[in-house]
Amino acid sequence: MLGTRKKPGETAFAFLFILIGLGGIVGARSIRVSELETGIGPRAFPYLISAALLLVGIGLVIQALRGQGGEVEEGEDVDAGAKPDWVTIGKIVGFVVLFVLLLETIGWPLASTLLFGGCAWALGAKPWWRGVLIGFIVGLVIQFLFGGLLGVSLPAGPVLENVRWLNG
Amino acid sequence: MDNLMLLLEGFATAAQPIYLLYALFGVFIGTAVGVLPGIGPAMTVALLMPITYTLEPTAAMIVFAGIYYGGMYGGSTTSILLNTPGESASIVTALEGNKMAKAGRGAAALATAAIGSFIAGTVATVLLSFLAPIIVDFAISLGPVDYVALMVLAFLTIGALLGGSPLRGMASLLLGLVIAFIGVDDTSAAQRYTFGLPWLADGIDVVLVAVGLFALGEALHVAARLRRGPIQVMGMGRSRGQRWMSRSDWKRSWKPWLRGTFIGFPIGTIPAGGADVSTFLSYAAEKKLAKGENKKEFGHGAIEGVAGPESANNAAAAGVLVPLLTLGIPTTATAAMMLTAFQRYQIQPGPLLMETNATLVWALIASLYIGNVMLLVLNLPLVGLWVKILQIPRHYLYAGILVFGVMGAYSLNFNIMDVVILLIIGLLGFFMRQYGYPVAPLVVAMILGPMFEVQLRRSLQISQNELSTLFSTPFTWVVYGAIIVLFALSFVIKKAQKKMEEVPV
Repeated sequence: MLGTRKKPGETAFAFLFILIGLGGIVGARSIRVSELETGIGPRAFPYLISAALLLVGIGLVIQALRGQGGEVEEGEDVDAGAKPDWVTIGKIVGFVVLFVLLLETIGWPLASTLLFGGCAWALGAKPWWRGVLIGFIVGLVIQFLFGGLLGVSLPAGPVLENVRWLNG
Repeated sequence: MDNLMLLLEGFATAAQPIYLLYALFGVFIGTAVGVLPGIGPAMTVALLMPITYTLEPTAAMIVFAGIYYGGMYGGSTTSILLNTPGESASIVTALEGNKMAKAGRGAAALATAAIGSFIAGTVATVLLSFLAPIIVDFAISLGPVDYVALMVLAFLTIGALLGGSPLRGMASLLLGLVIAFIGVDDTSAAQRYTFGLPWLADGIDVVLVAVGLFALGEALHVAARLRRGPIQVMGMGRSRGQRWMSRSDWKRSWKPWLRGTFIGFPIGTIPAGGADVSTFLSYAAEKKLAKGENKKEFGHGAIEGVAGPESANNAAAAGVLVPLLTLGIPTTATAAMMLTAFQRYQIQPGPLLMETNATLVWALIASLYIGNVMLLVLNLPLVGLWVKILQIPRHYLYAGILVFGVMGAYSLNFNIMDVVILLIIGLLGFFMRQYGYPVAPLVVAMILGPMFEVQLRRSLQISQNELSTLFSTPFTWVVYGAIIVLFALSFVIKKAQKKMEEVPV
């Protein structure tokens, strides 16, 4: 199931495997081996696997350069023929980063509202505030079910910190 | 008879109201995630793992087994009613099922899929109940070198045999092995690839990797190429006289159900195929065996082409539990997650599992029988509900998957760094899908890798680093011989598969 179009991204991604393989070999040299070790020790298997990855990576780069690219994985919601929409990807990654930065300050309900609303908007939800509203409800329900009932310690945030049923 | 007693005891445990509720919860969630595109049972089990810590092991495993079986049922609804090509495991069902739905026979297609799944699931669970103790008796005598051989078989089939490109499968598998190295080595306590960072000393959690690849990676993948426009869900053909399976539908279905069962179960049992291969083989068999008018219907909505593959699918799912419960070897991503759950509860999987945790294992097996009955009931009359779920607007669906994904990652250790790792692995998963790398081998390898290394080092330590020990028992000869046979067979099958895919549908 190999296509025949050349894609520079594909070659770059294949190179990543070579790099990881090389890194694995270099990194294995600094694994400390006990003087009492009688077996093959903690280095042997990492050497073996990294070398195998390196070889597979070389094979993949050759395939990619020859234009024998892989095919985009299919799925019910995926238009495999379409060009990837990098703007949407960027927006979603951005909202996840925002979530990482804000979660512990503003708490789960608000941070997850932002993540849900933002991603729904990025994926084309209209109007945007409906996604935010649904996100807020989803966030609160999760906080109540998991934080309140099951005792999973999600941070409720400064506003809701003292609400008993939201904190286990 | 001893085992029958244990199974009955298992039923006594699993039939307690609270466990029945857990089973119902599991199959319900499982069907829902099976129906929904973009989420599968592996990711659901991974997501629920932190949350189920508060449950006792038996309850958690019953929930997970329900999700596992439920996902198989749910998938058929999607492939029959959704008018877009799906993932490869369900593509065979879609071949005929889609055509049947278009011809207004959707209800019959759904019914034959559900009943076939029930029959196959139940027969396969019976086989599992009686085969597992026999295999355990045998597995207890296996030494480390035999396990090494078995895992080599698993690695090669999962990495190189499945999927379109062996090189890509192996890359994914090897990457999983490398990620599994990170942290403290079990045998020698040496730190590996931790770069002196304390938060890497514990290694990267496989749950985090699974959620990253399956939830975030999938959401990003879909986001990049979201199919625009309305969701094309087909009706079920509820016009008069078309509602249900006719007498001739029954007559044409029962043999494919049974054939599918006996094709699927062995394929699931040996770590050699997973669901895809079994559905394809069943479809090919039905097409070959059909006669006269029925044969002409293939490609235009032949009911055999739904009944057989759907049964094979479920039987294979039960088959996968055989190596999981008897040898502790997972061969699919969902099985890998279930094994992780065992480990979390400090339960050591392997041949001793059925002895040391007999109550749990037999309750789990009994709950599979119960779950199958529940699924039949859930799927036949409630199909309207699942169709509604299928129509959830995609922007909300994937936003929800992302929210649940970050919640699962964060609640592992309540450390925000885990969400950062999740994002990195999510991006990795996105690029892997973008360039046609399968992601499941990576997850399975993360579980199998450390087990393999322990057994390999143990073997070599016993033989004082003599490599020939790896081929020293008759069992190893059988396994390595089987690898050669499987690879030869796979060439034949792949050729046939290609031929089938080239036929314009």
